[in-house]
Amino acid sequence: MSFVETTVVAGYTVSDFLLAAAAGFVVLAVGMLYRAVKGPTMQDRVLAVNVLGTNTVVILAMLGAALSEPTFLDIALIYALLNFLMAVAISKFTVERGGVL
Amino acid sequence: MSGVDLVAAGSVPQPVIAQVTAIEASLFVFVVLTAIVTALARDVLAAVIVFGAYSLGMAALYTFYRAPDVAMTEAAISAGVTTILLLLTLAKTTRIDHEVAFESVNLPAAGAAGLLFVGLLLTTAEIPAVGDPDAPAWSNVDVTQWYIAETYAETGVENAVMAVLAAFRGFDTFGEAVVVFAAGIAVLVVLRREVFA
Repeated sequence: MSFVETTVVAGYTVSDFLLAAAAGFVVLAVGMLYRAVKGPTMQDRVLAVNVLGTNTVVILAMLGAALSEPTFLDIALIYALLNFLMAVAISKFTVERGGVL
Repeated sequence: MSGVDLVAAGSVPQPVIAQVTAIEASLFVFVVLTAIVTALARDVLAAVIVFGAYSLGMAALYTFYRAPDVAMTEAAISAGVTTILLLLTLAKTTRIDHEVAFESVNLPAAGAAGLLFVGLLLTTAEIPAVGDPDAPAWSNVDVTQWYIAETYAETGVENAVMAVLAAFRGFDTFGEAVVVFAAGIAVLVVLRREVFA
């Protein structure tokens, strides 16, 4: 029996708590989306998408642990790297127009 | 080994249903919201940024449905490359400041999109369930078993999927490589560069 299958309280396992936490983070993502849509400045949007990306990494890591799928961590890593790239590209675009790369 | 045995051997552990639907539902809400905002946002840069958020949600959804390869592609292509390319295009053109944040909805276009959505939705009833032994892939056991048994002897490639990609349909893959190569050249031309650096 793996760690995530151990019962914590009232028949709920660690896996259940991780899944519930992941669902909570997805709900938070909708809130972050509000900032990305509303703005008002472009910096708000860049920050919102950056936080969304970090949020996605956390969700993927939790899902990977809860469902015993270690390969999810690979995708989480790719996202962590790309998230940084996206934030830098959009920031550079807003500061010096024309310079993206 | 019969088809049913293979399905049983390859089946994934079924996750807890209650929590799964909660995550799925909130991911769906997130993806649909980002898609609508991307379509209706007046400011192009805002649309590009929200589109990046959309692909974050899609990749999480693909991962959840146990398609990590699709999720990786979505992450690398849609969130990474597409965002950069769209930003480059914006940098080469102009971005107009709009007073209203959202485009007004074109009702005939929305109706046509809705009809297409309903039409596609109707076809999903015909898709076989995951691990269904009556699915077309398993009802032709002779074909699937031939590939599983003979792939190594025929091609010398150990991975059957890789053998199909690189050997059995090698010319098709070659055509795809030509398309990707042409796209790379086109990007270099737009960027006025001679190398990717």
